[in-house]
Amino acid sequence: MNHPPVCHFWELWKNPIFLRYCRSRLRPAGLLISCAITFLLAGFIFQMSRSLSGHTDGFSAADVERTPLVGLLILQGVVLFIFGTAQASGGMTAERDEGVIDYQRLLPMTPAAKVIGYLFGLPIREYVMFASTLPFVIWSLWQGQVPATRWLSLYGVMTSTTILYHLTGLLTGTIVKNRRWAFLASIGLVFALYTVIPQMAKFGLVFFKYLTVTPMIEESLRHLTPRSIGETWETGRLLISEAKFFNLNFSEAVFTYFSQSCLIITFFVMLCRRWKDASAHLLGKIWAMGFYAWVQILLLGNALPLIESGKLFPSQQFSRYTSLLRGKAWEPASWEAIAMILAYGFLSLLFLWILSGIITPTRSTQINGWRRANKLGLTHLPPLNDESNSTGFVMLMAIIGGAGWFTFLHMIVESHWFPGHFAALPISSYFILAMLSCTLLHQLALEAKGARFVFIAIILILVIPLMIAAILVSTSEDFIPVSVWIAGISPLCLPALCAAHHLSITELSVELSRVIPNAYLFWQTIHLIVILMLAHQLRVSRKTLATGG
Amino acid sequence: MPSIEEIPAIDIRDLRVDYEQFTAVHDLTLKVPRGEVFGLVGPNGAGKTSTFKVLASLMQPTYGEVFLSGVDVLEDKEAARRVIGYMPDLAPVPRDLKCGEFLRFYARAHGLGNDKQCAVRADECLEEVALSDHKNHWCHKLSRGQTQRLVLAKTMLHAPKVLILDEPASGLDPLARRELRSTLRKLASQGATIFISSHILTELAEMCSSLCVMSSGRLLASGSVEEVRTQLGDHSRKLFVSLLSSLSHVPDWIGQHPCITSTQLAAGVLSLDFIGDDEAQASLLEEMIRQGLRVRSFSEKRSSYEEILIGVAERSRLS
Repeated sequence: MNHPPVCHFWELWKNPIFLRYCRSRLRPAGLLISCAITFLLAGFIFQMSRSLSGHTDGFSAADVERTPLVGLLILQGVVLFIFGTAQASGGMTAERDEGVIDYQRLLPMTPAAKVIGYLFGLPIREYVMFASTLPFVIWSLWQGQVPATRWLSLYGVMTSTTILYHLTGLLTGTIVKNRRWAFLASIGLVFALYTVIPQMAKFGLVFFKYLTVTPMIEESLRHLTPRSIGETWETGRLLISEAKFFNLNFSEAVFTYFSQSCLIITFFVMLCRRWKDASAHLLGKIWAMGFYAWVQILLLGNALPLIESGKLFPSQQFSRYTSLLRGKAWEPASWEAIAMILAYGFLSLLFLWILSGIITPTRSTQINGWRRANKLGLTHLPPLNDESNSTGFVMLMAIIGGAGWFTFLHMIVESHWFPGHFAALPISSYFILAMLSCTLLHQLALEAKGARFVFIAIILILVIPLMIAAILVSTSEDFIPVSVWIAGISPLCLPALCAAHHLSITELSVELSRVIPNAYLFWQTIHLIVILMLAHQLRVSRKTLATGG
Repeated sequence: MPSIEEIPAIDIRDLRVDYEQFTAVHDLTLKVPRGEVFGLVGPNGAGKTSTFKVLASLMQPTYGEVFLSGVDVLEDKEAARRVIGYMPDLAPVPRDLKCGEFLRFYARAHGLGNDKQCAVRADECLEEVALSDHKNHWCHKLSRGQTQRLVLAKTMLHAPKVLILDEPASGLDPLARRELRSTLRKLASQGATIFISSHILTELAEMCSSLCVMSSGRLLASGSVEEVRTQLGDHSRKLFVSLLSSLSHVPDWIGQHPCITSTQLAAGVLSLDFIGDDEAQASLLEEMIRQGLRVRSFSEKRSSYEEILIGVAERSRLS
């Protein structure tokens, strides 16, 4: 029974879900008000900027016409990124709240066509609002003599960023149960992407900057502002860390597409999986592992080329001005290198935990899987199925993460900035072991005890010891050894202890160099024992399930 | 290979659905022939909605196989979705669409032709459920009964071979129920198979050609209404015998009859709790006449469907 599809996923104009939202979200009453407000705001920005710059000396006619561009871009960003994303997540949650999402599940359309329908349908009014600003933008670009290549690549990046954010919104709306939370989470995410996450770029994790349009705007700003301002900006831009990918040089636009495409495809796959089966994991095991490897490659590809020039280190940017005044050459401090190594390690760990949370089956999923297997007479669960345990894949990801982390620290420690220090290959096993321990503790506890237990454990075992240790350290220096032991309870401290113990650049005090190795070895052993106990418990429970118990 | 007519409209084999430790459906096996209005009855928590969700391809069962008109629902969801029309319990509607737009959207999504053809089909279905006047009304402003009818119209849009209706009559007034019954009969006469659930047996008995009873996830009985009554072991009835000659006491032979569990005599009417079948009932009447009792009238009152279902639910709760 082969029926032609109602529409292929690329046939947006035929997509019933897209057309349904065109109908409901483009009703004249609501649309006219939204568009009128946007048009008025855009007109205000356009005219005010031109009027104010018209009185500035040295501005040519083209310069005056360019002045509204930055303001208009901000307005377009707010409409597309904030309102559009909120609508994507809120609309998705509303469908579920109203209960009509099951009707859409039953439509004989492919999951990809459904995702595309929602992606472009839910924020359709915001697209029209965006379009209402275009007359002013087109006028400014034309009269301001902005090169076509420049604005084409800028709007290309804006499009891919919009798709990424709207997919994030759809995903949030699909996962988060509560409508308000979905709305707040998606807005919070966009806000974080523009405020908090770009700060990671200062720690060498330049990748995060490319999830926004900021690099593209920075690159284009010379053409979007009056020439005199643009030239000053271009001089200032030289002080900002630039991004390379290993030894390759990309334009900002190409690199933004490169960075965003991976996330866009992954989010798209997640949504398709959920449309195919509402109870499926967001990602399959192989995809999660590939995605993690890709993130590691991106992080390393961005960070490593910045080590030699020192642009990886945040202090370099601040010291440029002071060193010019003092005439002294800048050098990174060893504590800064350690901070960056830990930042990379924790970020890798965070990604690992998120992905292991996605691919680890719940107890009930496993039970159902075994019941099905028993019924079919199978002796094991197919390893790639959602219901089969994910420990092996999580271990592989931890090894990838550990290897990435070691590569990062190896390149820093053995760079010309820290002569005489080494991070030889044999010690990489300790870093991989630390990463494995932290990840397996999380994954095994999740599988054996469930998400609620892990949440409570994170607060009691992960956070509270660190807080107690911090209070003790701030009280008196005498408490430093005790606080090291207490902090060691937290598995999160293990990578830090490992780095402090094995890296010579840490330059520990005599007291600390006595305490840290003992605390590290003790807690590493304890963590391994807990891992073995949890693994044994799970093995027994899997055997019981396999025998139909 | 069986002919198309021989393939059952619904074929459920060994279906099991679990929610963590709770088993909602226990190894259910059921076949529904084509063109039937088949009822699924059971108390709340019997596993009706879980069964329907699996049939509608909205839920993955723990194990089992489900075929709708020969299409494997679990293997080929897209093909199955062309065959079925599913109306969920409480039939939700979107807040941002009008009735006509709501139906046109689904008509388009089922590939029922161009905009004009979709609009024509939407109008036909609105007419079918007597909602033509409400074409330009907001969906969420309809009454409960009108909403149910609107969703039924949506379910009928693509003329599905199998209609799965989860408690479609809940919240409907008697008039609306009558309209629903006539709509369903009309659909069945056009060749559709209708699988309909309710926790009210009388409601289903009136509109179904056959039905099955589920309780605690298990199938207890299936067949025609009378067959289900028999399978559930319900032979009990109350017999009322009115006599011309007044009796001072109940004759001993009646009190000792194996099919009579209790007797009562009041105002010349003998009330008997009878547990035998129809044959035994006829023999009892013959015996009464042979024994010289002058029977003026002989009537029976059987336990209602509700009482049967309550009994089933009680038994399954206790077990």
